[in-house]
Amino acid sequence: MRSALFGFGARETTLLAACIVAFAVFALASPYFATTDNLLTILRNSNELLFLSLGMTLLLAMADVDVSVGVTMGLAAIAVGQALQGGWPPLLAGLLGPIAGAALGLVTASVVVLGRIPAIVGTLGLFGVYRAAIFLALGGSWLSGIPDGLTRVLGARPLGVPVAIIVVLIAYGCVWVLLRRTPFGPHLLAIGGSEERARLSGVAVKRTRFATFVVNGILCGVAASFYVATYRNVATTIGGALALEAIAATALGGTSITGGRCSLLGTAIGVVLLRLLQNGLLLMGVPSLWQSVVTGGLLLGVLAFEVLSERVALARLNIWARAAS
Amino acid sequence: MLKMARSILAGGAVLALATASASAQDAHNSVAFVPQIVGIPYFNAMQEGGNKAGAALGVKFIYSGPTDTNPVDQLQIVQNLINQGVGAVAVSVLDASSLAPVVQAAKAKGVKLFTSDSDAPKSGRAVYVAQATDEGLGYTIVDELVKRVGDDAKIGIVSGEATASNLNAWIGFMQQRAKEKYPKLKLLAPQFAGGTAERAAQIASDMMTANPDLKAVIAVASTTCPGVGQAIETAGKVGKVIGTGYCSPNTARSYIKSGSFGFSVLWDPSALGYLTVWAGKQLIDGKPFAASNTVPGMDHPVSYDDKTGVLLLGEPAVFTKDNVDKFNF
Repeated sequence: MRSALFGFGARETTLLAACIVAFAVFALASPYFATTDNLLTILRNSNELLFLSLGMTLLLAMADVDVSVGVTMGLAAIAVGQALQGGWPPLLAGLLGPIAGAALGLVTASVVVLGRIPAIVGTLGLFGVYRAAIFLALGGSWLSGIPDGLTRVLGARPLGVPVAIIVVLIAYGCVWVLLRRTPFGPHLLAIGGSEERARLSGVAVKRTRFATFVVNGILCGVAASFYVATYRNVATTIGGALALEAIAATALGGTSITGGRCSLLGTAIGVVLLRLLQNGLLLMGVPSLWQSVVTGGLLLGVLAFEVLSERVALARLNIWARAAS
Repeated sequence: MLKMARSILAGGAVLALATASASAQDAHNSVAFVPQIVGIPYFNAMQEGGNKAGAALGVKFIYSGPTDTNPVDQLQIVQNLINQGVGAVAVSVLDASSLAPVVQAAKAKGVKLFTSDSDAPKSGRAVYVAQATDEGLGYTIVDELVKRVGDDAKIGIVSGEATASNLNAWIGFMQQRAKEKYPKLKLLAPQFAGGTAERAAQIASDMMTANPDLKAVIAVASTTCPGVGQAIETAGKVGKVIGTGYCSPNTARSYIKSGSFGFSVLWDPSALGYLTVWAGKQLIDGKPFAASNTVPGMDHPVSYDDKTGVLLLGEPAVFTKDNVDKFNF
């Protein structure tokens, strides 16, 4: 069982190399790619996905999943947007995001953990419910032209560093401490390895899973506040594709989708690589349809590479075993 | 006792039969409309117009559509409506290539299948209720832009789904207009954002980065309008880059007022919904369309082109700072 968390493993190195190669290619192909403005644009576009993927990393490591993260973010974004339109102070409205996210996380946790419904089925159901709730809450009309109070707070750059980056670092740091310095981490990975064995060895499986879904909800809520600050608009289609992107970025980052293994650094690099490719391919003038082919192909390539290298490793083991006998 | 029970049962059965046939009659005298996606202001306005027409023309109006711009989900909804035996079904087509077999299935069941808002010309549909000609829409947006940014500007295009036939047709006419009338105008290849505002914003900001001399961005799908408007504001390019698109006044209002949008081009979708239900009623009653039709409840005659099978609502409207507040959809 490997749990690289923040350490540099093989996958992180591969991904970072992929980032550097992509960066070099794009920088050569387009004079506008390697500019501060464009790199900040890539980071801003990665922002929501960084939070959603952090939650997804915890869930996948536990062999759980949540396909409703995009719409969970959407519902929390409605709360934040309506608060801003209702004249709330920006900071308070911004805090409403994670609070609403926590409440939604409680609902999801109750359905999946207390209701004993498999996570993929339960959250797929909730995806439909939350999507419908978004339609009802918006009444078919979009929130647009939301006041820019929150934009000024979250778009600020104390000491030249965007608030978004600071909050991302804090979130990843907190989760790292949770995983590395508290029993939560080993418990989470043990559940991901085998829920039954974890239970037999005294892990509070229900409590750990419940807490993780709530943490995931809070992260969706943080993403919601940044979403509203960035786009100042909430449409009924909000978050439609984000859950799949979060799963893709997390899997790309080396977290096993069958549980028991996770990498926070891998997830972060996975998200940035995904957005870097989308940005660079557009700058090079590649048609949109091919952009999704490239990102899909990358995911398949990395996963296939992993399966192959595991086979090679196993074959080597067999050789050693034969030599020994 | 047994006799009484039996007669009650028989009476119940007769009653059930009667209501069943009444509801079959109801179903036949109803017009359904399947939008590309539910819950957006544009299709809500069409629904509103459809409801009004239903009440005015004495026909039941059914509104049902997918929650995502997914062609497969949309066809399933159409199929369900056909199976229910409604009189006529109108579809705002997401994928023109897959409608033909459904038209066949509808014919077999005696259901009139036609298109509205987005067409599938080769599918064998009964009629296409058009909001404005694709040509009119494509030309108008290019003409209006040239007035504001000159005839040698570089212009980006952000669309929604790559399979949406109406969006692709408009883009085709934009390109045609540019080629024929403004040879120096440079239209970039369209980028497709799917249905979300966030992706549209990302694409629009990347476009502005890749083309520092970009003068305008056209948001082709209504779902891409807020993304494009917001991207221009966030990039601090209000006044340098003009956003525009086929967006409802409510969606474009804040961007038109902030200056990130110069104008928006569209038509009145509630009138389109009204006309759609009227057309459905004509089809159910077996009445043919004339070259010029007087529609009860509409203030101008509606033209019909027999060759292409297109029923035309009228000329597109341009919404600017000066008139945007007069509309609410």
